[in-house]
Amino acid sequence: MTSGSDRPDAGLGERLRELDAPDASGNGARMNRMFADMKAKCDKSDRTIPGFLRSRSTMARRFIVLSVFSALAFVGWFAFPLVGDHARTVPWTTSLVTFCVLLVLAMFMVTRPVHLPALPRWQSVCLICIALGATVLAAFWPYPAAQAATHDPGGSVMAGACMGVGLLLGIPVYALLRLVDRGNALGSLVAAAAAGLAGNFVLKAHCSVPGTSHELLGHASVALVFVVGLGLVHRWIPSK
Amino acid sequence: MANSPPTPAATDEELMDAYVDGNEAAFRFLFERYAPILLRLTRRHLRNDELAEEIVQQTFFRLHGARNDFRRGSKLRPWVMTIAMNLVREHWRRTKRRKMTNLEVETQAAPEADFMPLELRQRSELLHVALEKLPSSQREVVELHWFQERPYAEVAQIVGTSEGAVRVRAHRAYATLKQLLVSEIRGDE
Repeated sequence: MTSGSDRPDAGLGERLRELDAPDASGNGARMNRMFADMKAKCDKSDRTIPGFLRSRSTMARRFIVLSVFSALAFVGWFAFPLVGDHARTVPWTTSLVTFCVLLVLAMFMVTRPVHLPALPRWQSVCLICIALGATVLAAFWPYPAAQAATHDPGGSVMAGACMGVGLLLGIPVYALLRLVDRGNALGSLVAAAAAGLAGNFVLKAHCSVPGTSHELLGHASVALVFVVGLGLVHRWIPSK
Repeated sequence: MANSPPTPAATDEELMDAYVDGNEAAFRFLFERYAPILLRLTRRHLRNDELAEEIVQQTFFRLHGARNDFRRGSKLRPWVMTIAMNLVREHWRRTKRRKMTNLEVETQAAPEADFMPLELRQRSELLHVALEKLPSSQREVVELHWFQERPYAEVAQIVGTSEGAVRVRAHRAYATLKQLLVSEIRGDE
């Protein structure tokens, strides 16, 4: 307990105590009603898939997310052709590793237990900005210029297709992260950034169309569309 | 423990353990024990009965969702307080974002004031105003340290900072409050 020297002096203490008087009016009935409402909400939530997933322990939720990410990455890596050997450069590997690290960080933020103090908002905002910045930076760090020049100049046309694929790939990642999120502040935007990163990861690993303009329009735009789009949706339709 | 009924004498942690093991009655005991404390805490922060009730219910809803994270041997009270304070902070952030006017809050505030004598109502109002003038980081420390009688170490754990920082915040908050209420306190003496 607090020691006497920790407390404010008697005058102020007396005044503060006035605010701590319990409210005796209708306490029993009120508490019963509150408990019944809350219990009904808990029972209803337990019957849903999000409710079931969110009530797993934090370790289990993280394990589920990492397992799904790993399974998707494993299938994608071996089932679909990767970019050619000539394109597997240091920047390519660095980009993939960076996307992976940011994705895992986002997952840790989204699955943060609610009994811990909420993370400062600037940390979430930083992660979102870094994620967006990384996708843009990766676009400026594509194939060696000499090789890019020899490739099909219709890269910008293909950007639409890449963007579509990236968005489609990001949706399950976003959905999964939202399913395990117990209600962290900015959780939706962090999940959106993670979805953009996942889309970029797959596109970077498999897309063989070179060129900065293609990567900017077709790859980096995926993360931007997710973050800006969902940010606007949440601004217009605030969650309860 | 899941099948044996919990007793009112059980500790918070025993009740929570029983609840994690599936004993629904234990949750009821926990609610009866903590809801009045949380209701007073949230009403002081929000000055709105309906909102305070909502946040208390939401706190227990989140506690229910997080029950599988509870480890035997850990303390329950910091858990509950942290969830509630996170929700209060989130509420303030949202209302600030929606640019809710102070007037709107004031008209909904302190419904129990109707039953108070005028002088007491004015005193209560003055104190509320003084508390509201504190930065939220200081106000929550006063709330937990003074009203909830939590030691600084536990307050630090709940608000997510160091014990030293909490001591500084508390010292500044009490000094500011005393300054704001100085004439009244002198009048009392």
